[in-house]
Amino acid sequence: MLLDAELRGRLERLALIGTRRVRGVWSGRHRSVRLGESLDFADYREYHPGDDFRRIDYNLWARLGVVLVRLFEAEDEMPLRVVIDTSASMGFGEKFETARRLAAMIAYLGLASGERVRLVTVPAPGRPALQGPWARHIGAWRRLESWLEGLEPEGGTDLPAAARMMAAPGAHRGPVVLVSDLLAPGWEQAVDLLGTVGGGVVVHVLSPAELDPDFTGDLTLRDAETKAEVPVSVSDAAVARYRQRMDAFQADAARRARRVRMEYIRVLARPEALEGALRELVAAGVVR
Amino acid sequence: MSLLAPAALGLLALSIPLVVLYMLRSRRQRLVVSSVRLWEGEEEYVSAALPWQRLKITAALLLQLLTLAAFALLLARPFYQEATPLGPHTVVVIDTSGSMALAGRLEAAKSEARSLVVDVSEAQLVSLIEAGPRARVLAAFARDPNELRSQIDALVVSGGVEDLDGALRLARGLATPDRATSILLLTDGGIEGMVAEPIGNARHLLFDDVEDNVAITAFGAGAPGEGVARLFLEVTSFSASSTTAEVETRVDGLQVGTTSIRLEPGQRAQRYVPVDAGPGQVVEAEILANSDGNPLDDEAAAVLGANTYLTIAVMGEGSPFLDALVASLSGFGPAAGTSPDLVIRDGGSAAEVDRPTWLIAPVEPPPGVTITGRLENPVVTYQRSGEPLLDGLDLSELMIAEADIVQARGWLPLVQAGDVPLVLLGEVAGHRVVYFTFDLVRSNLPLQVSFPILGARIIEWLGGGQVSTAATAIAGAPIPLAPPAGSRTQITMPDGGKRELDGNVIEFLDTGQPGIYTVAYVAEDGATTGGFVAARQFAAAEAAGSSRRIATVSDEVGELEETTLLREWAPLILALILGLVLIEWWVAFGRPLPRFRKAEA
Repeated sequence: MLLDAELRGRLERLALIGTRRVRGVWSGRHRSVRLGESLDFADYREYHPGDDFRRIDYNLWARLGVVLVRLFEAEDEMPLRVVIDTSASMGFGEKFETARRLAAMIAYLGLASGERVRLVTVPAPGRPALQGPWARHIGAWRRLESWLEGLEPEGGTDLPAAARMMAAPGAHRGPVVLVSDLLAPGWEQAVDLLGTVGGGVVVHVLSPAELDPDFTGDLTLRDAETKAEVPVSVSDAAVARYRQRMDAFQADAARRARRVRMEYIRVLARPEALEGALRELVAAGVVR
Repeated sequence: MSLLAPAALGLLALSIPLVVLYMLRSRRQRLVVSSVRLWEGEEEYVSAALPWQRLKITAALLLQLLTLAAFALLLARPFYQEATPLGPHTVVVIDTSGSMALAGRLEAAKSEARSLVVDVSEAQLVSLIEAGPRARVLAAFARDPNELRSQIDALVVSGGVEDLDGALRLARGLATPDRATSILLLTDGGIEGMVAEPIGNARHLLFDDVEDNVAITAFGAGAPGEGVARLFLEVTSFSASSTTAEVETRVDGLQVGTTSIRLEPGQRAQRYVPVDAGPGQVVEAEILANSDGNPLDDEAAAVLGANTYLTIAVMGEGSPFLDALVASLSGFGPAAGTSPDLVIRDGGSAAEVDRPTWLIAPVEPPPGVTITGRLENPVVTYQRSGEPLLDGLDLSELMIAEADIVQARGWLPLVQAGDVPLVLLGEVAGHRVVYFTFDLVRSNLPLQVSFPILGARIIEWLGGGQVSTAATAIAGAPIPLAPPAGSRTQITMPDGGKRELDGNVIEFLDTGQPGIYTVAYVAEDGATTGGFVAARQFAAAEAAGSSRRIATVSDEVGELEETTLLREWAPLILALILGLVLIEWWVAFGRPLPRFRKAEA
């Protein structure tokens, strides 16, 4: 069980907040990029044959002699897509378990808020991504949970491909939550692209051992995903320089996400990670 | 520097594989991490194709090469040669006579001996002989430095004259035909004529340090009064400056008087000190506050004679000096018609000797002695050292008008003028005899201060020690014992120590310490059944602290000096290796101190 009953109860009292217009299939509570049938006036346009007569503004026709019809805002459901990184690099420490529970928590939040939710994995290079089914009701939670439990960290990461898939034209346009360690080439491009889709959150999952390496000596470090090897003499000075690069990496990720109007939260892969992440989501205004 | 096992230097060849190991590329441990992206920039660019790398001279490599070289050198056993007086068998003779107490001579000799015995190897043997008043072997054919050191440490200065002749006899007795034996004499040389020189197979290490010294050189009882004894006291200055000696006299440990004596450099002062003491009491004299080079000769002790009475008959011409001498002796008196116990024969015939006799220029000599002529105005050139009768007496100013030239085979000359004996000791028909070859009244001897002492000692000696005005002897002289049947002897030493002797021991020999010896005979039930007190004095001849070099045979000594000792550098090299290993450990792994300080900062 990814989420215990107590946490689920708390999540059911919260709701996801959409900050951008969405485009969904079904009507809902969020302003859509389309025009529709709500009570909120949006614009005028010239009458075309076939338009509903009830939307003709007769006052303007009488005063100006031009036949215009009133347009109204549409309200759609918010299609929430949670992209989870299942690459081999996520298999270190408790990163993947933490990422999976984070994805579950956000998906549950969406379901509890009455949104349409879909879980997607980041594809490995040259391979298709795994996409879960769309779910809209809390009753579909068990299905999503079992789908998540079936994932294993393995293979490489193609974050740009995942971003392109999210940005592809289609019926759904809404926020994307990326749960990843971003330790893959092209993460910058991916974040930029996701920012154009509909906003969302970059959840940066890192393990404590990645922040503070506990090995020393002459080593050949091997990349879990790319299998690339780097001969390194891990000294105190080298570790200090690594920490500087790690700090710069996190700062860069946060800056890049916020530049494309996405929220950024960093989560350390620990058992209490969900509590901290939830607090940060609330603080960022994503959840209320 | 030479090597005992030079083949071990072949281990230096191990430096080649050691260097090769440093040139081989180390196989790094492979560690899988989530990503190497953030480690980029830290990589060391190495060519994976070549197993070799350029040799980098590091501190660790240098330290390991040095350690290997030191280890090879250690196994090669480098050594150097050091000359040592020790031969295959060395007999070390250490002088413990009274003069060795002067200016720490004995301590210097012991230190020298200790440094020698430390070098004893498996192929060398060392024997140790103490040349005290009684020469004795302390260790024979020993090669254990600890045993030898303990024997050397236990040596103390005696108050007597060294028996160097006896020690050399013992040393020669230790010689074995299968092993070259050499003698090493650690002594101040003693007194001229003490040993027959030169000494073969020997080497003499001279200890001749000197310091100022003021000594009691003679102490004895003079003519008694009624309950009053006259103590004869002689104090001699061996100092380079004038001094005043405050001499305290004691009877049975209680102070009875103090005599102040002013002494010029080299001066000898003599005093008679009357004390209220009787037979059997202990009289002592001590120079107060005398911090000189030899503390042993600052005290003297004597025991006043017991009440045994012997008669003396003066026969022949006689003289008032002899009469006064006899009258002054406690325990002796003139014979009154009865058969005397002792005889003083002044002139006349000595052809028949039937009791202990003091012969003074007899016309007819005793059996075994031949008069061959006469010598006018003989000058004293020899005075036997270590002789109890002459101890502390100086006869160099003795002037004689005429003396007989005698041939006395088997007699012991005490005083000589060249080859002509003036005073002899001997035995005739089983009786002790003292023979003066000159007439007393034709000499200045009766006028000298030493005459009463010499006369008293002669008469005491003739009396067989049964009676003495002051029972005393030089340190080292044995104390005769006569324990009753079933008793054992308990002796309290001058330093307070106790000695227990079996009842069958009739002589106590360990009398090197000057001072008072209390002898008690203890029965089986613990009751004291008798005893007496004996005194042993510091030998006056030792107080001067004279020294001389003893002649030794040169060719043997030459061989001896060529003896060398092989000393290995192993301890030094081991320390070097240990230091190198510690430095290497510090460099390679630890450096704990700087890191610790950094952590604290």
